[in-house]
Amino acid sequence: MKLHKLTELALLTALALIIFIIELRIPDLTPIPGVKLGLANIITVYAVFRYRPGETAMLVAARLLLGAMFTGNLSALLYSAAGAGLCLLGMLGVKRFIPQRYIWLCSVIGAILHNTGQIGAAIVLMRTTAVLTYLPVLLVSGCIAGLFTGLCAQFTVIRMEKLRPDRHE
Amino acid sequence: MPETPSKKPVVLLVIVGIVFGVSLLLVLLGLRPTEKQLVEIVQDGQVLYTLDLASAEDQELRIEAENGSWNLVCIRDGEIFMQDAGCPDHTCVNMGVLRAENLPIVCLPNRLVIRFAQGGQT
Repeated sequence: MKLHKLTELALLTALALIIFIIELRIPDLTPIPGVKLGLANIITVYAVFRYRPGETAMLVAARLLLGAMFTGNLSALLYSAAGAGLCLLGMLGVKRFIPQRYIWLCSVIGAILHNTGQIGAAIVLMRTTAVLTYLPVLLVSGCIAGLFTGLCAQFTVIRMEKLRPDRHE
Repeated sequence: MPETPSKKPVVLLVIVGIVFGVSLLLVLLGLRPTEKQLVEIVQDGQVLYTLDLASAEDQELRIEAENGSWNLVCIRDGEIFMQDAGCPDHTCVNMGVLRAENLPIVCLPNRLVIRFAQGGQT
């Protein structure tokens, strides 16, 4: 059973990384940095609802580290880790009391927290509040992107539940 | 998952709606091109240069970063933009010309910001 879990998590991590790399190849919609779909978060939201918190955290950590290595942009790791950490905590908290048809809402909240965490890290690291003016832009794009990835995750979770209802916890 | 209808999702929905609405409003207000001409180049919270775009001559400024990387800031025809940078992602270069007050050109790896000078704000 444990090995089974490990394999599933590894598979999900690989899937998230593939989505992440493919998304990098999609040209940016706007020149504003940070505005992107974040398709790999479909996997994160899926894991939040299908696996234990610790397992999800491991998946996200592995994805962040490997993603930073693959893109060769290690300096961005601090920002993405701050965003992803806050996002994960928020989603795990929200998940406790929302039904499955509100998974998209959980994802939107995650996106808001993700962007807030990123900007927070940028303020601390760059020692300037100038980046704060980015937050509204990122929040608007994050809400829309979060809704999209959240709906993707919601459909996946509900279908997987029908397929294998007896799994997980 | 409790089957009883909970009010919590609705509360969250309202909060998310407010956050989205306020952000959208701020974006629409903040993204208009500005009339300001005074530009600051800030590194690590320190103002390195203050330039008046209306009177500044065309020039290129090479700014070295602590981590060994660099940025090439370019001023041409009263517009300021990042010409080139030593980082791999070139996000700041892709941002193009500085236009809006609320959208400074930011280079995260080299901790460099180009923005319109704001009275009293650090």
